[in-house]
Amino acid sequence: MTSPSALARRAAPMFACIGLLAVWQVASLALKNDSFPTAIEAIRAIPDILGDKESLINILASLRRMAIGFGIAVLVSIPLGLLMGRSRAVAAFFNPLLMVIYPVPKAALMPIIMLWLGVGDITKTLVIFLGVSLPVIYHSFEGAKAVEEKMLWSGAAMGLSPLQRLVRIVLPAALPEILTGCRTGLVLALITMITSEMIARQSGAGNILFNALDMGQYDTVYAMIIIVGAMGICLDAVFERVRARLVRWSEPQFDMPLSFS
Amino acid sequence: MKVVPSRSSEWVRPVTSQKPASAIIEIDRVSQVFQTSARKDHLALSNISLTIEEGAFVSILGPSGCGKSTLLYIVGGFVNPTSGAAKMKGQAITGPGPDRGPVFQEFALFPWKTVLGNVMYGPRQQGVRVAEAEAQSRALIEMVGLKGYESFYPKELSGGMKQRVALARTLAYHPEVLLMDEPFGALDAHTRTRLQNDLLNIWERDRKTVLFVTHSVDEAVFLSDKVVMMSKSPGRIREVIDIDLPRPRRRNELLLDPRYQKYVVDIERMFDEVDETGSVS
Repeated sequence: MTSPSALARRAAPMFACIGLLAVWQVASLALKNDSFPTAIEAIRAIPDILGDKESLINILASLRRMAIGFGIAVLVSIPLGLLMGRSRAVAAFFNPLLMVIYPVPKAALMPIIMLWLGVGDITKTLVIFLGVSLPVIYHSFEGAKAVEEKMLWSGAAMGLSPLQRLVRIVLPAALPEILTGCRTGLVLALITMITSEMIARQSGAGNILFNALDMGQYDTVYAMIIIVGAMGICLDAVFERVRARLVRWSEPQFDMPLSFS
Repeated sequence: MKVVPSRSSEWVRPVTSQKPASAIIEIDRVSQVFQTSARKDHLALSNISLTIEEGAFVSILGPSGCGKSTLLYIVGGFVNPTSGAAKMKGQAITGPGPDRGPVFQEFALFPWKTVLGNVMYGPRQQGVRVAEAEAQSRALIEMVGLKGYESFYPKELSGGMKQRVALARTLAYHPEVLLMDEPFGALDAHTRTRLQNDLLNIWERDRKTVLFVTHSVDEAVFLSDKVVMMSKSPGRIREVIDIDLPRPRRRNELLLDPRYQKYVVDIERMFDEVDETGSVS
């Protein structure tokens, strides 16, 4: 199945990338500004960063914090969101708290958290946790709320207890919505990861980026932006694959408008 | 068969069976009030008493908003009545249980499970071993006419097929009473007719007690031993009509039978009377 139009569709993202790089290259050559390296210069700096053991350790430390923060957030937020969606009392209790936390940029909380917990892993992981939690709670909540009452009744008639209904009916029924929240959460984890390293400059990918900026190594700055961006795209694409597999039973209305897979 | 009618007590069932049928479900002065707004209460069901005998196919017929589904949900234990009580085999109904299996208009299948997974769900929950549950479920799927669709997901099925799965899923855990809530209401006329025929064939094999909510007069007469006609605002039992037509019933014979036709005409007239708005849906 490789009709010309299908081929064009598959190649389109590639053309978009090449186009973007070309515009960058031309703009950079035209502006002739030291702080705006050409695309080729930036790309050439990538192997230097990835070849450097120190940088690699930093990036891996970032990813580890991100994974832990994201993982804990998902493990806490899904049950909380599901409970909120099925119990008015739980929702009434947590809603005001979340409404307060929701609009606050999580990075703005960092100075306080740093005062209490220092500038180490715990602080940064906590900020990632906070950033990821809200969309996952929100989508789990919405997903659980939307579960058809009659589906739960059918389960109850088969003898499922309230807890069994939550785990074996509400959870799978809300899964498409939950995973939508997780996908947003994953991107937010990347954003909060970099932000936290900007504020608590000690290690990590964000630290490399801002150190390079301080030292005027602009090609490294842009190379790091490309690396972080590529990490985001890869993580999202992998997640999207997993998501699509997990919910292939679901109606197409849950399909994402955007997908890199 | 004994029915506790709401108004008329002159109604007596003609004796067709010798052995005295025993009551399986007793609904005793059940009322249901819904709060529609802070000030107004809506009386959905008013003082309903009804006895359903074991093995009977009973339809609850009435216009939209007469509380017929609510009555079914009370028997299912999904809704608690405001006053009065429903009993199953003498035991007060306090919640849902596998002795009463619902089939809903909305199908309410588990979309993440295949057809086989849906049908096996109940038996597995009841502790039936996998191999046994699977064998029984496959047989049921074949019985409802879906052989070959075992590994399909609900989204891949038509409405009629989904309702067949829902019926098989409920039959799989052997409820003593089937509670059918306008099960064919969402289907097109042709599919509806086919499912009625098939339901009747399945039912005539083991004669489970069925409580069947519908707003279709033909459907009620075609399927039932007894039709409970309800009126609305508030929901009351208007009349209980015995459908004294021979079984097994075959659609092509029945449609030509003057007795069937008379039941339909009489009940339709009654339906017009109870539905003041005149919109027989």
